[in-house]
Amino acid sequence: MTARMRRISLLVVAVVAVVWPALLSDFSRSLATDGLIFGLIVLSLVLLTGFVGQISFCQYSFAAVGAFTVGSLVSAHHWSFWLAMPLGVFGAALVGALVGIPALRLSGLFLTILTVAVALFFDRFVLASGTWNSFSGGLSSWVVGRPAFLGIRLDTSYRFYLFVLGVFSLCSLLVWNFRRGKTGRVLRAIRDAEVAASTLGINLTAWKLAAFATSAALAGLAGALLAVSIGSVSTGGYDLIHSLGVAAVATVMGVNSVASAAAGGLFLVFGPEILRHLGVSSQWFNLITGGLLIVQLIVTPDGMVTDTQQKIRHLLRHRAAKRASETPAEIDLVSANGQTAGAPAPAARPVRTGGQR
Amino acid sequence: MTRTRATLLEVEHVTIRFGGVTALDDASLRVNAGEIVGLIGPNGAGKTTFFNCVTGVLKPDTGRVTFDGHEVGALPPHRRSRLGMARTFQNLQLFSGLTALENLMVAVDAHTQRGMLADAFRTPLARFEEHRAEERARALLHFLDLSDRADTLAGDLPVGLQRRLDLGRALVGRPRLLLLDEPAAGLDTRETAQLGELLLRVRDRFNVTMLLVDHDMALVMRVCDHIYVLDFGKMLTEGPPADIRQNETVIRAYLGEAVS
Repeated sequence: MTARMRRISLLVVAVVAVVWPALLSDFSRSLATDGLIFGLIVLSLVLLTGFVGQISFCQYSFAAVGAFTVGSLVSAHHWSFWLAMPLGVFGAALVGALVGIPALRLSGLFLTILTVAVALFFDRFVLASGTWNSFSGGLSSWVVGRPAFLGIRLDTSYRFYLFVLGVFSLCSLLVWNFRRGKTGRVLRAIRDAEVAASTLGINLTAWKLAAFATSAALAGLAGALLAVSIGSVSTGGYDLIHSLGVAAVATVMGVNSVASAAAGGLFLVFGPEILRHLGVSSQWFNLITGGLLIVQLIVTPDGMVTDTQQKIRHLLRHRAAKRASETPAEIDLVSANGQTAGAPAPAARPVRTGGQR
Repeated sequence: MTRTRATLLEVEHVTIRFGGVTALDDASLRVNAGEIVGLIGPNGAGKTTFFNCVTGVLKPDTGRVTFDGHEVGALPPHRRSRLGMARTFQNLQLFSGLTALENLMVAVDAHTQRGMLADAFRTPLARFEEHRAEERARALLHFLDLSDRADTLAGDLPVGLQRRLDLGRALVGRPRLLLLDEPAAGLDTRETAQLGELLLRVRDRFNVTMLLVDHDMALVMRVCDHIYVLDFGKMLTEGPPADIRQNETVIRAYLGEAVS
């Protein structure tokens, strides 16, 4: 029932995501494209904060690694985007793993503060405008053209949008697969009880580093795409403030849901735009996000998207339970509580065969 | 009573100091295959330290820990787990944000090799292992009478059921040695009696050896084949339950306090 509902709703979302932007203006379409790219950064937080439980304030620094790699190599050194992009993603993953190393000793607030330090380091040194003058001729001259994908030039806004949509969907699928598979269980187990996870045979070091690297790789991919989407790379777009903003939006939407990525990304670009339409300066956007964050933390601690999903799921289960009310659940509960160590039931035999295979 | 069976766990002359405090002082202990061995002692005797030393959470300053012929003193917890050691926790370190089923599945996962890449693309191997993990977890839930709580978050279960789930999580990886850290803590008399029965049933069905640390004398006397007594970090004495019950030093150090 729920699986069918999910499939239907996914299909509807997919159709809308493909068809609707075709009807929009070029400007709105490029906004939607950027929304999906920002969505990738939110997705990187779904992985890191949602699974591992670690808040990071340097996701845009990882994105900067992707963006600057693509920017410098494509424009100043005439690399193909398809070579520069994987390199940027790999570089971001590497930086992510480096940031992850202290995570093996630190956790919670202390590690969060460390991510702030990383972001500030990037702001001060890597993103400073002078840094790149000696290499690749300085930022201002970087022009990143649209690449071709399977022979199709992504030069119209709709084509590029579809390409980004494809990348975003693929990454969401990967994270969704992580979530429902071993990776999700292991990382959430580490989040809930580190010592217990370790005594079960889980290698904390390997998994934490892998999670940090993968999260950073997603952010790096977003940065690489952003360089192409904007057509240039600027120092101001990847600083601490952006990282704080995306962390706030990810929290508002709910870091436990993959769907929060799309919602968060679109909110990040269309939020300020809607304000502008209402005649309000988009500078109010951060303030509004902050207000939303406070409201959300009080009303729906799990996040708005997550909370809505839970309510829908609850509703569906409730309905299903009503329909199948032939066997009263009450009796089952009592027997499970009261009868701990009765005689081994004959039906328990599969344990044995399963246990000795 | 002579103990003739093969040695599974051997702890020899282990000493651990925290600053000026000697938590364990030249403590030795042996667990033979198929036995349930008890470790008792008053609060602060060093039982949990001893436990952590066996599981690898703490490394002893001196002394040896040998498991199944392997010297494991320097191995981290996850490596010891792969050799066939599992433990439960006094303060129930369940994965509270995971369902009961997932709590058991993750214990199966821990012993598989696949990484994030196999998961990301849901390779045939990932699907197969996923299926097998769920099968084993469900079978164990059934054994523990928790089948109808499979989708309940572990944190939402009542304490009695959490204890059972904790035991199941340790068992699902098919360990040869199960270390139980105060499994009766927080249970009432009836629940403790049920736990004792469950432990005996677990030993017979899963063919697992146990080292049991607990305050509850009724439980320890009921299920253990052999008992060690720890006091101020030192092994006071050892013997079968009947001897320990009558041993005067033990009564003075521990039972006397507890009974009077």
